[in-house]
Amino acid sequence: MFPGSFPVGVSKPCKWVNLKNTSVTTMPVKAIKTISSARNGVGAFILQCKRLDFHYCNFGGSSRGMLSFLTKDLAAFAREHPQIEIRVSPRPAKHPVIKGHYINGHEKAICVRNLEPSEIMKKTNILKEANGEKLKRTKKPVTSLNESVRGIWSPYHGDLRGV
Amino acid sequence: MKRLQLQRWSSTALSPRVRTNNRLHQQLYSTGLRLQSTVSPLQSESTISENVEDASFQNPDAMRHIRPQDTIAISLSPVEAATQSAKLAALHARLYLPSRLPLQTLARTLVDASADSNVDFNNESLATLGHDLLANYTSEHLICTYPRLPLSVTFAAMYAYVGPKTLAAISKEWGIDNATVPGGEVDPGFLQFRRVAPGTAVEDISQLQSARPYADQKKWRMTVSSKIFYDDEFGDAIKGSVALGQGVTDETARATFVRAVLGAIYLHAGRPAAKRFFEQHILSRHLNISELFNFSQPARDLARLCARENFEAPVAKIVSETGRKSRSPVFVVGIFSGQDKLGEGSGSSLMEARERAALSALKGWYLYTPINPRVPSSMEEEGAAPWKPAHIDLGEVIV
Amino acid sequence: MAASITMPKRPFLTLPFLLPSLTESLSIGAVRHQSSYRRTKQRLRVKPDASFGPSQQGRDQIIYNPPSSAPSVYHTPSKFLPANDVRRVMRPAAAATATTDVNELPSVYKTQPERKYHLTPEDVEEIRKLRLNDPMTWSRYSLAKKFECSPLFIAKVCGASPEKKAIQKQVLEAVQSRWGPKRRMAREDRKLRREAWGRDE
Repeated sequence: MFPGSFPVGVSKPCKWVNLKNTSVTTMPVKAIKTISSARNGVGAFILQCKRLDFHYCNFGGSSRGMLSFLTKDLAAFAREHPQIEIRVSPRPAKHPVIKGHYINGHEKAICVRNLEPSEIMKKTNILKEANGEKLKRTKKPVTSLNESVRGIWSPYHGDLRGV
Repeated sequence: MKRLQLQRWSSTALSPRVRTNNRLHQQLYSTGLRLQSTVSPLQSESTISENVEDASFQNPDAMRHIRPQDTIAISLSPVEAATQSAKLAALHARLYLPSRLPLQTLARTLVDASADSNVDFNNESLATLGHDLLANYTSEHLICTYPRLPLSVTFAAMYAYVGPKTLAAISKEWGIDNATVPGGEVDPGFLQFRRVAPGTAVEDISQLQSARPYADQKKWRMTVSSKIFYDDEFGDAIKGSVALGQGVTDETARATFVRAVLGAIYLHAGRPAAKRFFEQHILSRHLNISELFNFSQPARDLARLCARENFEAPVAKIVSETGRKSRSPVFVVGIFSGQDKLGEGSGSSLMEARERAALSALKGWYLYTPINPRVPSSMEEEGAAPWKPAHIDLGEVIV
Repeated sequence: MAASITMPKRPFLTLPFLLPSLTESLSIGAVRHQSSYRRTKQRLRVKPDASFGPSQQGRDQIIYNPPSSAPSVYHTPSKFLPANDVRRVMRPAAAATATTDVNELPSVYKTQPERKYHLTPEDVEEIRKLRLNDPMTWSRYSLAKKFECSPLFIAKVCGASPEKKAIQKQVLEAVQSRWGPKRRMAREDRKLRREAWGRDE
């Protein structure tokens, strides 16, 4: 120890004194119980769209593109994306609709009346790639839970450069 | 308007069980036999009857996998339904499960013991295996990466990685939905379990007794062997299981399901696949271990630590300060042992800064990580480098 | 302002713009004219750190500019590394990199009591006897004064008798009963803040 310095904690205990009243704590560190938070895509990636419902009408003219899409393109789409459950059901006397159901419990619907099959495919892809959240503007391209490697700037640390 | 054929278009929404025009299923119901994918091979009806005649009276255990006729009437959906379920196939693909893991087993992981008490058809055995794998992989990761972590913090980190709350959250992030009530008509893609009856006090479930003698003596010190014997991997006492008819909570059922999935992967696709699945879904989650510590007297602990390790006694020195005797002063205090700085902390009083500095020094000690830490299970890989012993520390500071 | 700051790492003379200029009087210096503003600004225009520039020797080098932030707890201090850890060798010794001597830094404490280790087992027996028999006269502080040791040592050696504890509790309750809501809340907040230190919040 340096001369004139003061130790931080308790000084050395006297061996000959029977320290009866000293509380013996076996666990000086207590732990805080939390749960780890998910980072989708860091390890495994879970596609957030879990179900797509395709509704069509056999009679209405606005469903013509949809019917063509269902008969020609949907099978290939389903094969490419096995992680999405696909349901096709008629909705007579209504415009055709695609509904996406997401893992966060939300659902999004796009009306595809009078659209061509290629346009419907685009809409389907929009629903597939969405994560179920409301659309919002992202200002920063990357968000991370990790701490900054350089740390948070502090006015009390670091050397001042000679001016 | 055109008439709808109800049966045809509803067939996608309902499980194959309720389709009445399917001959295969009619046949299945008539026999009432379910196949199991993992545990034992298929038994035809004749062998069952033979078994009943031969062995049942002498050996009740031989009867366990044979279901009496009355339970078949309320049995869950047949194993064949698994191959017809779009939901289940989507789940299989969503988790990138190995193709060697059949849909039938995946369907079995979704059946909780409270929904189907027969151990051959529920996920209990798979969950037991998965639970052990999870505990093993997580604990070896924590111990090898942070060899100096105090026991309580290790337990908390284990809980954060593979605790029931986390596993339940994982199953939600996988997009698993609960079946309202378990039954034969339910799509096999839903998690089936019997819920705790509404109005049941939470204490009734949690008040189960531990097997530890004098478990009610909270202040008694527990030995390490007692902890090993009576406590689980999170440092909590192992309580007895709930009575059979009582049902389980949503969290328990979901956690059991995630464990069962890992167990199923291990059985069907082997150890490397299970390890990969664990790394991708559990270990990739974010956990800041430095936030799990809660010190009461860090300065005292640090002094003890330095005495134990034969370092010079730690000394607190003011590194810089501003605004002393003002309304909002800031002191930056460093803790030094000899010429080495152990930690640094800032606070609005000298005592606060000193405590925080001692705390950061202690965390610096506890959060030591060896370079390129390896876990024992990495030796199971093909062409693994020779094993070097992992760093083993003296243990936490005991005051 | 400058006088109240204790900055051992930052010598006062390296900040010439803080010094009053010889040509200007102090009263003028307080007002910032366009001419003085530009001069100050010029002086504050710091050149980038030498390590950012191209290497003088033409060799590869590691740019090391420690950030002005509190050190991370995941960075184990060199002293805490085990003997067989490679980083012990790779890092320069603390004495070589230290800009200031630790002994020169001011201590957290104003006074440093001397540690004498002068008490004998008989003294300790005496302390125990006094505290047990006449707790009202021989409090921790009076015993500490008599035996020239710290009150903490007295507490370590013997505890108070149950009667004394009960009396003390009553006294404390009497005092606390006179507290108003403001003081009570302030005390509770203080306790919560103190607990937050341990969680590093």
